[in-house]
Amino acid sequence: MKELKILAILVVIVLIGYWGIEPYAHSVMHGEVKKSDYAYSDLKVSAPTGGDATKGKELFMANCASCHGVKNDGINPGMDKNAAITSFNVVPPDLSNTAAILDHKFLVAFIKNPQEATKNPKFAMPPMAQLSDEDVANIIAYLSSVAKKDLTGKEIVVEACGRCHSVKYQKIEAETPKDNLKAYLGKIPPDLSVMGKAKELEYLESFINNPQNGLPGTSMPRLGLTKEATEKTVAYLDQIADPHRDQRNKLGVWVLGYLLFMAGLTFAWKKKIWKNIH
Amino acid sequence: MKFIDWLDERLAVKELVKVTLTEYYVPKNINFLWSFGVLVMLVFAILVVSGIFLLMYYKPDAHLAFDSVNKTIMMDVEYGWLFRHTHAVGASIMFLVLFIHMARGIYYGSFKAPREIVWITGYILFVLMSATAFTGYLLPWGQMSYWAAQTITTLFEKIPFIGPDLVIWIRGNYIVEDATLTRFFALHVVFLPLLLIVFTAIHLYAVRIPGSNNEDGEHYTKEEKKHGKGIPFWPVFMAKEFFVMSIFLTFFFYLVFYQYKFAMDPINFQPADYLQTPMHIYPEWYFLAFYEVLRGFFFSQNLGLIAFVLSMFIAAFLPWLDTSPIVSGKHRPIYKVLFWIFIADFVFLTILGKLPPTGLYAWLGFVGSLIYFAFFLALPIVSRIEKKKVAGGR
Repeated sequence: MKELKILAILVVIVLIGYWGIEPYAHSVMHGEVKKSDYAYSDLKVSAPTGGDATKGKELFMANCASCHGVKNDGINPGMDKNAAITSFNVVPPDLSNTAAILDHKFLVAFIKNPQEATKNPKFAMPPMAQLSDEDVANIIAYLSSVAKKDLTGKEIVVEACGRCHSVKYQKIEAETPKDNLKAYLGKIPPDLSVMGKAKELEYLESFINNPQNGLPGTSMPRLGLTKEATEKTVAYLDQIADPHRDQRNKLGVWVLGYLLFMAGLTFAWKKKIWKNIH
Repeated sequence: MKFIDWLDERLAVKELVKVTLTEYYVPKNINFLWSFGVLVMLVFAILVVSGIFLLMYYKPDAHLAFDSVNKTIMMDVEYGWLFRHTHAVGASIMFLVLFIHMARGIYYGSFKAPREIVWITGYILFVLMSATAFTGYLLPWGQMSYWAAQTITTLFEKIPFIGPDLVIWIRGNYIVEDATLTRFFALHVVFLPLLLIVFTAIHLYAVRIPGSNNEDGEHYTKEEKKHGKGIPFWPVFMAKEFFVMSIFLTFFFYLVFYQYKFAMDPINFQPADYLQTPMHIYPEWYFLAFYEVLRGFFFSQNLGLIAFVLSMFIAAFLPWLDTSPIVSGKHRPIYKVLFWIFIADFVFLTILGKLPPTGLYAWLGFVGSLIYFAFFLALPIVSRIEKKKVAGGR
């Protein structure tokens, strides 16, 4: 009985200490994670309606194709990669699947004013003020018609993050060279290989939704991913950062089971040896 | 001739077993807190074994270290993650077990005559273990590895005259970088473990001369222990010890598999970057109390540094601070109160150590630091009161 009392005191002290250095310290240091806003309610535009894909393609060829390609439709960008890097310090994305992973309302706002939509005043793409609401709706309709549905987490990460971020443990190399990225963003964006361990998943989700949520002033642009694409991205980052989770959880059960069995055996032995002592 | 007899003729193994196990007695009036010495040895063994496996794949090079840990060991090597989790959790739990082992010694007066050497060697082991943990923490070359090493080595700068040169000598460069990593590696895997083994041997030898202390702080002769007051180390003491070990290992491996984050800080999964200081820099939990004493004197860096060094070493002088003739805290009402205030203060400092040192927290840290030292400074006074009481009682 006395020993159980001592054990209880130990447990209470350890739990108080644990509470202090883990949950409590983290809540003080990091504060609340800001809620994601997938409606992009700060953007004063409305989601596109209707839209004609054929007209959209014409508009695309006239306004976008000098920098952007659409591989799914066999369109190569007018500018080659090296020329683009020299002028923008970043590779312009191929837009094949953009409409599948980006929120359409965000896209409208982005095409008209990329700097405002991404919250990055130095964002490389110039505003396309010449396009009317209808033009933009048509372009989005065209991009939607070519986009591949049901992209995997990995595909989304390559599409949405891969121009600036490497994921070297997955052999994904950032498309833009490091020096240019440094000139464009002020620093080399971190590798994402174990980001799923370095950050809480809740934080990552909120950060991808709006980087200013987690790191005010960061040069990472807001991407405008849909809720589904964001969640797939986070799930992928989580999975590649901790590839042996299933193995660990399964093995843990066996090890703990074995040790509890040992505890039973050793307890029986102790009883036997101590029978005549007291 | 039986093999055992053959061996006995040459190595006197039968006598050895008698002296160290079957006829070595520990008092009967002890509780499971006396098991923690063996638990420390168990965790040390776990650390050595898991460490050797990690050593097979780890690369002590600033360009390779992070990837060798987080890719090779954690992802590519079969069960590499298990060895890393075990090593990281083992390092953390080593200090939990050590703190309990030491607190038991403080409460029951195990540092008192004739066990001063046991206490001192034990304290040296604690300091060596701290150095081992500190050097080992740099090896994964993550952000917190780097900045903890950078911050702590900077402290040496304040030492008069030689400070700035000493810092460069320790780091092998003006900042923490590759040379620092390789030398910390050498210390962590060779030099410090060797010293730990040597001092463990002295510690164990030393405890066998006066024998283990007990709850009442009574002194028993070997004869008394043989006839009623004690139990043989083998098999009686160890029979219980194995049970305690099983329970402990269940807890330990629960942490290894399901609750390891406290020992593997998320921020350390970002590679070391000397251009980017993390917003919060803090050591692992087991150094937080001492670290908080350093920050507690927030109005003077020099004072903080002196207090920090003092806080780490003052407990080594317990046998000379506390000279009361009553050994066990169980029979010392005033001491008991002081002890629990001290424990509460230590936990309090540990928690504060991770919080930002601003506003109210800074002042709480200052008060906590003062209470920490007050415990040690009160001991000579308590001793005098108790000496008078004992003399009057006669």
